[in-house]
Amino acid sequence: MMIRLLLLTLLVTVSAVSAVSAVSAVQAVESDPIQSPMWDYTRQQFIGSAPYHFDERVKVLLPAFAENPTQVPLQIDATALAGDIERIVVWADLNPIQHIFTYYPHPDVIPKVSLRFKVQQGTAVRAAVLTQSGVWHVGSAYLDAAGGGCTTPSTTGNGSPFWESHLGETQSRSFPLASKGGVRFKFRVIHPMDTGLADAIPEFYIQQVILQNAKKESLARLELSQPVAENPVISFDLRDDLNDQAGQYQLWMRDNNGNEFEKAL
Amino acid sequence: MKSLFAVFLLVLCSSVYSAPLQYNLTAREIAKDTWVVEGKTEDFSPANGGNIVNTAFVVTGDGVVLIDTGPSLRYGTELRQLIGSVTDKPILYVLNTHHHPDHFLGNQAFQDSPIYALPETGKLIAQQGNAFSENMYRLVGDWMRSTEVHLPGQPLSVSQLKLGQHRFRFISMTGHAGADLVVLDETTGVLFTADMVFYQRALTTPHTPDLKQWIADLKRLETLDFKLLVPGHGPVSEGRVAIVQTHAYLSWLDKRLSQAAEQGLSMNEVIELPLDKHFDQLAVARKEYVRSVAHLYERYENAMF
Ligand SMILES: [Zn+2]
Repeated sequence: MMIRLLLLTLLVTVSAVSAVSAVSAVQAVESDPIQSPMWDYTRQQFIGSAPYHFDERVKVLLPAFAENPTQVPLQIDATALAGDIERIVVWADLNPIQHIFTYYPHPDVIPKVSLRFKVQQGTAVRAAVLTQSGVWHVGSAYLDAAGGGCTTPSTTGNGSPFWESHLGETQSRSFPLASKGGVRFKFRVIHPMDTGLADAIPEFYIQQVILQNAKKESLARLELSQPVAENPVISFDLRDDLNDQAGQYQLWMRDNNGNEFEKAL
Repeated sequence: MKSLFAVFLLVLCSSVYSAPLQYNLTAREIAKDTWVVEGKTEDFSPANGGNIVNTAFVVTGDGVVLIDTGPSLRYGTELRQLIGSVTDKPILYVLNTHHHPDHFLGNQAFQDSPIYALPETGKLIAQQGNAFSENMYRLVGDWMRSTEVHLPGQPLSVSQLKLGQHRFRFISMTGHAGADLVVLDETTGVLFTADMVFYQRALTTPHTPDLKQWIADLKRLETLDFKLLVPGHGPVSEGRVAIVQTHAYLSWLDKRLSQAAEQGLSMNEVIELPLDKHFDQLAVARKEYVRSVAHLYERYENAMF
């Protein structure tokens, strides 16, 4: 085991050295705080050879253990980097489908988002924030799990009458944010969010979520992947001064079958 | 980090496995003819083998009434020996109070006695027992060896039983697990609540139909006439103190979750909140709180939309 750790460190060092032209010297000694065997692989996949560093200001909130592997609560808070964010890519190293979502926050929103996702086994979860200077800031957390969340059919059941008659139905509510001022939009949409990994059930999931203001500007855009939990509950935080046009916000979603859902918030 | 932990676990396990696994159960006589086998106020672990539950037996003149059989065949076997060391009387009634694994997976050791449970409990064990058993293997390991689900064969349909000098009352509730049997020995004044009441250990909520239902059930328990209370988990106590603690915790949890939902908190934010100072000293308080948020918050959140 020690040998494996050593090897891992060696690998990290080697790959860092090989990319040394693009990377600062500091980075060469930065090793994955979670020590996940998949870090190099998933980093290549999601951020390529771009410069990055681990940044505790990017907060990945997770429970220590996935009590329900089909509904693991996840909150990403990149408030410390607000105004400088290109996008936030979130993934689970050891999920069969690693990507969970990518968030494109408007410079004026509070870059904090929460949703629930499915997990197949214990895994590191990453939120990589690309800033305008082209550097990635990576926040990490470890989630322990007994497993099975991705290969369990949704409980509403793809093909069950419930969602067929309620697909895309959306409930929403706004809440004043107590601490910093601002407003939170939380919504729940009926959708099976099938991964395609459970027996004979094709993938069927919402891919796009956009929150627009009255001027049809996109304030928050989410690209979701299959691991997002069924009947998604998602919250966005907006700054107070953006909330002077109550009722003017519009939520728009589209799934991989081309169904579109809209809701005025 | 994880691999280091695995190494640690391996070392730990091999040292545990080198000695034969034994619970070394002991029974304490808390009232006339009434014995309690008290478990640890911990979570399931390879160190405790799942012995975190209270089982109890009453030795009447006619025979023994056993309340719950523990988390494994090994536990059941030791429990049976323990009963045999106290009395030669036959075991006439084995009761499974509800369908959680630490309360019925010792049934195999009592196959030659009739095993009773509420009809709904029997159904739930038939549906979920195997999954529970698998999960227990994962959580406590080799202690579970050869343990298999043995269903309670007798649906409990009576609410009273007279055996020897003892008069028992069976009370059917739902608050903790959807079907919960409470046993009152009217002769000794001992109330066996099983998991309807936890004491000095945080309660668990994976199958509660509704915290408000559980609270309503506790209000019924508070009206009963009894002297000693044997909870499902935690020490035996006199009077209503354990019910009061369970009730207070449930009321607090219910209020916490509805207030959090009203404020629009995410599930993660609810998990991060501090515990009420009245409860943070309970065994495994933080861990059970986090589990309860996972079990229950979605309902409160949905109700708020
Ligand atoms: Zn229980």
